[in-house]
This record gives sequence, C-alpha cells and structure tokens, in this order.
Amino acid sequence: MEPILLTGNAAAAWGARLAGVDYVPAFPITPQTEIIETLGAWLDSGAMPGRMVTLESEHSMLTAAGAAAATGVRVFSATSSQGLLHAMEMLYTVAGWRAPFVLVNVSRGLSAPITLEADHNDVLAARDSGFLQIHCTDCQEVVDSVLLAYRLAEDTAVRLPVMVNLDGFYLSFTREPVRLPDLAAAREFLPPFDPGSMRFAASAPQSQAVAVLGGSPYSYFRYETHLAARNAISVYQRIAAEFESRFGRERGAVEAYRCDDADIVFFMIGSFASKAREAVDRLREAGRRVGLLRPRLLRPYPAEIIASALLGVRGVAVVDQNISMGQGGVLHTELAAALYGRGSAPAILTSFIGGLGGREIAPQEFFEMAEVTFRAVDEGRSPPPRLLYTETELRELRKLQSVALAEREQTSPAGRATP
Amino acid sequence: MSEIISRMKDLPSAHLLGAGTPMCSGCGGLEALHQIYDVLGENTVFVNAAGCMTLLSVYPFTPFRGSWLYTAMASAPAGAQGVRDALDLLIQQGRLPPEEDLQVVVLTGDGSAYGMGMSATSGAMDRGLDFIYICYDNEGYGNTGQQYSSATPHGAATATSGGTGGFPGYKKDLFSIWAAHQPSYVATVIASEPLDLAKKIAKARDMSGPRMIIALSPCPTGWDYDPRESVAIGKLAVKTGVWPLKEYENGTVTHTRIPRERPAVEEYLKTQGRFSHLFRPQRNEALLTEIQQRVDRYWAQAQ
Amino acid sequence: MASRVLGTALFRSGFTVQDAPKYGAERRGAPIFSTVRAARGTAINERGVIHNPDLVVVADDTLLTVPAAGILQGLEQGAVVLVNSRESAETWQHRLNLDVQLVILPAAAEVEDRAELPHIGATCAGAAASLLGVIAPDVLAAAIGEELAGLGELVVEQNRRNALAAYRAVQDKKGLVREGKAVAAGDYTPPAWVELSVDDVGIAAPDVRAVANSVQVRTGLWRTLRPTIDYDHCVNCWWVCSSLCPDSAIRVENNTPIIDYDHCKGCMICVGVCPPHAIQGEPEYLAQQREAQSADTGAGDNNGTDTADG
Repeated sequence: MEPILLTGNAAAAWGARLAGVDYVPAFPITPQTEIIETLGAWLDSGAMPGRMVTLESEHSMLTAAGAAAATGVRVFSATSSQGLLHAMEMLYTVAGWRAPFVLVNVSRGLSAPITLEADHNDVLAARDSGFLQIHCTDCQEVVDSVLLAYRLAEDTAVRLPVMVNLDGFYLSFTREPVRLPDLAAAREFLPPFDPGSMRFAASAPQSQAVAVLGGSPYSYFRYETHLAARNAISVYQRIAAEFESRFGRERGAVEAYRCDDADIVFFMIGSFASKAREAVDRLREAGRRVGLLRPRLLRPYPAEIIASALLGVRGVAVVDQNISMGQGGVLHTELAAALYGRGSAPAILTSFIGGLGGREIAPQEFFEMAEVTFRAVDEGRSPPPRLLYTETELRELRKLQSVALAEREQTSPAGRATP
Repeated sequence: MSEIISRMKDLPSAHLLGAGTPMCSGCGGLEALHQIYDVLGENTVFVNAAGCMTLLSVYPFTPFRGSWLYTAMASAPAGAQGVRDALDLLIQQGRLPPEEDLQVVVLTGDGSAYGMGMSATSGAMDRGLDFIYICYDNEGYGNTGQQYSSATPHGAATATSGGTGGFPGYKKDLFSIWAAHQPSYVATVIASEPLDLAKKIAKARDMSGPRMIIALSPCPTGWDYDPRESVAIGKLAVKTGVWPLKEYENGTVTHTRIPRERPAVEEYLKTQGRFSHLFRPQRNEALLTEIQQRVDRYWAQAQ
Repeated sequence: MASRVLGTALFRSGFTVQDAPKYGAERRGAPIFSTVRAARGTAINERGVIHNPDLVVVADDTLLTVPAAGILQGLEQGAVVLVNSRESAETWQHRLNLDVQLVILPAAAEVEDRAELPHIGATCAGAAASLLGVIAPDVLAAAIGEELAGLGELVVEQNRRNALAAYRAVQDKKGLVREGKAVAAGDYTPPAWVELSVDDVGIAAPDVRAVANSVQVRTGLWRTLRPTIDYDHCVNCWWVCSSLCPDSAIRVENNTPIIDYDHCKGCMICVGVCPPHAIQGEPEYLAQQREAQSADTGAGDNNGTDTADG
C-alpha cells in the first residue's frame, strides 16, 4: 500500500481499526481526543463495526476496558497525562486481572503546573503497573505497534494489557507518511481474540479478581504477573520478527542505530529519538563514532538485548524526558541497574534531563551531550546530571517572573513583591 | 425465573448463596444479599466495589453459583458497563448464544454508593446501562470500623463522630438523587421485610435499564447491638418511619408500606449503641426531637 | 485486648514489649489472635507471627482441635499452653498428645449474654501474667485500668476482678513460662526456596471457577450460642427463619427448616423471629456436652442436628 499522510493520533486510530477491536471505552483529553473522535466517526458511519462508550472518567474508562476484556472481547482505549494518572488505580487492577487489551497513551507533562505538551512522566508513572509498554518514535511505528501490542497482550504466554506510547504534539498532531497495512494482511497477522478461560457466561460461572488473604498467595499471583511480563520479551521478539517478514519493517524490542562500532551512544525513547538519529548522522559526518540505542519495549525491560547492544560502547548519554523528583532520570537509573555488575558494561553513563513539558532539544545540544560524554570517557568519570536549559531560557523565565510579580503588585495592594 | 411472589409462602425456599462467608454474625447486608440472590438467581455476574462484601470471595472460595468480578471502590458501575457491553457484543456477533447471557449486578456498600462511586453510578444511569445496582447501606464505612460516611444518620456515633452530638451531618437522600436521573427503577428494601424485598427484586429483575436498589443493612458491629436484634431493628426502622419502603418508576414515587401508627423514632434509636449518647447520661431532648421532626416531616410530605 | 493488657503489664514491669493483633478478613465473631513479645532491656527486632511461642493462651478451646487455626504450630518442648476450658488438663493432654505443659483456666460460668464475652480477654491476661511470673498483681491491675480506661470505671472494675481472680487461680504455677531463645544462625535449616514456573494464566490469575465452594469454610466454629429447632412446636413456616438467616444456613427440606450447624454463626436471629417460638438458644458448649452425652448413651438427638455440607 502507498504511504499516506497521517497524524500519530490517526495512526493510532487506524491501528485499532485494523486490529478489529470490538469495544472502545473512551474519555476525551488533549492531546489524545482525536483518536477517539476518529474511531467514533468510523463506528457511527459503519466503516468499522464495534461499540464505543464515553465514560465519565478515565478511572471508569479503564474499569470498563478491563471488565470487557475479562468478558472476552477485544478492547481499545486511549488517554493521556492526567487521565492516565486518574486511572492509575485501575491500571494496576486490570493488569492483576490479566485482562489483555491495548491502551494508547499520548504522552503529556503532568500537573502541576498543568501543561499540554509532551514528556514521559505520565507513562513512566505507570511503569510498575503490570501494563507492558511499547514506545514509538514516528507515526508509522504507532500503527505498527498497536497491531504488535494486541499480538503481545493476547499471547497465551503473556496475557497482560499493553500500553502504546506516542508523544503529544510531536507525534499526536504531526502528519507523516504512513504505510497502512492491508486489512487482510493485518487480520492474518492478528487473528480474532480467543479469551480462553477468561470470560463470563451462564454455563461457565467464575469469580474473577477475588481477594487473597496473606502474603503467600499474594506473592504468587503478583510474581506470576511479573513472570508473564518477563516472558513478553521473547514473545515480542518472535512477533516482531513475524511482523518484519510480513510487512518489511523492523520492529525489534530495541532499535540499535549505528551502534556497531560506536564509542558512545545516545539512549532514549519516544519521538525525540529521531532527533538523536539525525544527530548521530551529523556526528558521524564530523568523524565521531556515535550511535543511538532506543528501547521500543520498555516493559518488560529488555536488559540482555540492551547489554549486548552496548558491547564495546564506552559511554552512554542517557536523555531522560522525565524526572523522578529527588532522584533524576528514570531511564538513566534503570540502565545503570541493568548494567551494574556486567564486566562488559560501558564505563560511563551520563545523565541529561531534557524535553520536559515539550521543551525542544536542539541539534547542538545533542552534539554537546555527545562531547560531554566523550570527555567523561576520556577522564574516566561521569559528570553530574545536567538539565538541558540555556541562558536565554533562564533570562526569558526571569522576565516572566518579573511580570508575574508586577501584576500582583498592581492588582493586590496588600501583597508586596519581595525586593 | 418469573414466578410470582405475592405471599411469604412464595419466597424462594432454595437458598443459592453459599454459606461460609466471612461476613459478621447477624449481618443485615448479607441477609439482604442472600434474599436478593435467591430471586435473581445464578445467571448473574456481580460486579463488586471495595467494601465489606469484597471479602465474600476470598481465594479460593466464593459463595456465588454465578459469576463475580471485583473492581475497585469508585468504579463498579463502569465495570458493569464493560461486562454488559462485552456480553451484548458477543451475542450480537454470534460468539455467545443468547441463553448464555447474564444479568449484570453491581454490589457496593454505602461508602461507594453515596460517595466515591457516585459519579460512576450517575454516568451509568445517564447512559441507560442495563444493570441492577444493589447498595447495602449500613450507614458508615463499616469495613474499616464504621467511620461516618454520607449515609450516616444525624446524631449517630461512629468511629469518627464520637462527640456528644454524634454525626453532625444528615443522611444523604440517595433515593432521590438516583430517582432524579430517571432510571427504570429505584427502590428501597430491607431484609427484615423479605416479601417487600422479593417483590421489588423480582420486579427489577424483569425490567431493563438501570435498576437501583438501596438495602438498609442493620449492622451489629457498626451500630453496636447484639446480632440477634438485626431483624427486630430492621422492622423498627420501617415501623418508626426511619426507613421508608418505596419505589420510583416512570417519574412517580410510591410507598410500598405506609406505617400508619408510627411508634416514636426513639424506639428504634434506643436499640443501638450508636445512639446511646442520646439517652445517657441524660436524654438529649433537642436532638431526639429534631430527629423525630425530620421523620414526621418526611411522612407529612409523602402522604 | 488480652494482648494489650499483657503488653502493658510487661512494659510497666520494665520489659521492652511488642504486641500486635493479627487482622484477618473475617468479621466479628470469627476467631482472632494476637501476639506479645517481651525482652529484658534490649530492643525487639523480630516482628510478626511468633514461630516458637513460649506461652500460648487459648481463650476459646473449640479452636484447639481445628488444624486450620494452627494454634499448636511451632510449640517446642516445655512450652506452656493456657486453655480457658471447662475440661481438665488430662482430657486435653490426652486429646492433643503434645509434649507441652498444659494449664487449664477454668472457664467462667455459662456465658449466655454475649456482652459478658469481652471479659474473657482480661481473665486470660490475668492468668497469663501469673504464669509469666514477672508481673505483680498491682501492675496487672494498673495495666487493665490503662487499657480499658475508655470503657468506663464499671467495666474496668469488673475486668480487674476477673483478671486478679484468674491470676490467683493459677498461682501454683507462677513462673512456669521460661524465657525463649533467639533463632541461632550457626546451625539452621535453610529455607527450601523454589523457582516459580510461569503458570498458565488460567491458574495464575486470582480467579475461582468453583461455585458456592465457600461452604467448605466451617463458620459454625464461630458459634458461641446455638439455636435448636424444636420440631414438636415448629409449624413449618420456613419462609420466616430461612429467609431471615443471613448466612443461608437454614435450608428447607419437605417444607421443614433445617439448621446447618457447619455454617450457623450463632447470631440467634432465628430464635427471635420464629413465630411459634420453636427455636431455642443455648450456649454452644452445653449443646456439645448434651450431644456428647447422647452419643455416649447411644440415644440419637434429632433436633435438627446436621453436619453434612450445607
């Protein structure tokens, strides 16, 4: 099929349509809303069979999604940011039900202060929930990942909900050429959902998600969920290989771009990883042996694949579009944990926090992150974490602060600005 | 399941809910649930919210002959939405024979129904969800030791309203809030009036759309009385007019029992330790009068 | 309550103390247990369940023979078991056949009024204080005052009386309980850890495909009072008692209500609602004694006794 121009949101909706989803519990939130509007229009026109219901909150939306999956239909839902957090209780809950379905998250920074633009603190807040996570870099990956996610979620060796993440604005509202898989081919790749023993029917009564008493059965059920998630690495690799042979696009758990002879690599997820890819090419032109390592699959964490991709690499510049308050970048922490104790691990991990709330990362910043990492490799010592924030930005911010205080002086005579 | 229940003798004699649950001895909520289950039968899926009855099913046991799904405190009606929609879709697509269909029943306590779950319930009614909602109302967060909820009656002592006046708020009128959504059916019931309960549940069972039931559930633990008194206290709640038995249908509220000779409300109050501060060390006449007047006013308006 | 009284008494006697109740999912009426640890001067680092108790206090002797209650687990030679019972130490020694020191705290007279039941806690604490041998009577009395202060002076006084009576009742065994030892690290049995396999989701999710199997839980054990149907007076209006029994523990056969004693929790609602007053209540232990006697004499008691699955 010839490529057409699609936004990331439209690509996500196409993924659901090609997957033949039965049921779409929905709730609007920027920058996700276009996904459910698109699906709603298709369902209304009959272009797509199935049913969509707009719930009164994301918490209810996730409950309905899990309950419908537990009853035996193929479910798709989408949310973003505050909505994901509002649903957080149910993310953990439905994963514990082992209810397989797909949730698209359109990443957006978290309140407070409230904002609309992308970073990854929302999706990473869900990292321990039992949802598996696939992270996309472009709109093509969005549609492909939704199909992969259903295969992964419904695989009998996995049976867990899967989240597909795309960045707000940078993907959600950005049109790119996308090759839509042919419907018949998509159906062949993704056969109808077989819920197995998980369903509700008069002749098959069952009590799902019952309470346990004591740490022993609790430990068992929780660890089984973990083991199923660990299983998902090899299952994903198998599914991705099948996807590649069928559709010709490589979708492995980890993208290793020009890593083979690299001295240092960028390590990041999401749409800005394509900026890193660009920077790698420019740095290569400048004679620097730089690569990009990008996990598509973040849960389960493909530690072995990452470690072997880093064999021979001397330094890793980890770019976190998130921040764990009081600790730093989540990807940096997790990479360090995955590599610790491996003799072959790169000696240097540098940590950069950038792109919070949709802040741009300029090409020169990538070049400089590479240089800092090269220097650290030479010196044999990792520098402290660095927030990507320029003098100009700080100057602009100071201006805003002065405006904020000036306004307060004008409107509130009682309030006095601190000198 | 369409037998007519018009006399006590018509009440189901086969009890479907399994014994052996960990509910308190003398639980008025379990008493209502087992009567309800006898009428609804096993072709049901109970979607449960956090509350005392979370622990009806504790691995590996269940008292249910049909199905059950435990969700969370705020969103059982949304769970019912998912199950109902999925069953409809499966039947529509021919993947589930119609005879395999289930009645979807939400089961929550008053903490969820009157508070945390209210927006999910409102949404489910807005959407005309075809389900039955059972609220076992023991007038407080019973599962955590009876702190006051918005179902707690005025003046009741709870773990968080232990002052001389008891709970300063007033029991929320959930019946009216639900009825304002114009669902198919809203009814109040109590297990101590099993015939009234069975008639209403049978009626709800044979309707479609949102069918909303509030079962006042005398609670030996939370209300502080001997378990043997659960039925006597339930009967007093009805007789004194504290718990009006009524139903809403097609825009009209009908009382299914109008207590003609209402004994003083204090006959009800003094059976329970949670109101003992109204009588000892001395009678709190002001509060007793206020409580009586509110009940009188209700019935004056109702008739 | 007993554990808090004991904990406070030990604390007031100069010990470092740790006491804790263990909450289960079950509700009022269900068996409960709690633990007390005491040490001389040093901090107590151990937590949770006591694996090898030096003293086990059993307030309800019907639990002793229930394996699931696990009361006798981890008892080592020389440990003391204090049982609140109407039966003798010899009877229990014979029944349990354990190498432990059994002490019987003679159960109080018939407890027909459930409001009396809470006092068993103080009584047990009193006897336990005596067996520990390190708590003086006035310290015990003070501990009861401190722990029950919220219930009013009358309740405190009654509990004090009961506790001190129990203290004296086992005085000949004062100090019977020996101090325990910590688990030695030098020579221990390693835990038999296993690798969990990835189980099929059909069993690896917390789902139950059995139906109504809650009947395997014998909630009849909670019962302290027993209702008995006098069929000479029963007029077969089963719809009253069997509808109003909260626990579905009165079934109907041939128009006749039958109480399921495996599950009846003894709430006694049926006693109060029976129109012809044909259901009588009595303390469970009396009913059990009567059953034992009629079993001995071979005379079957046919008053609705039912031990089959409900």
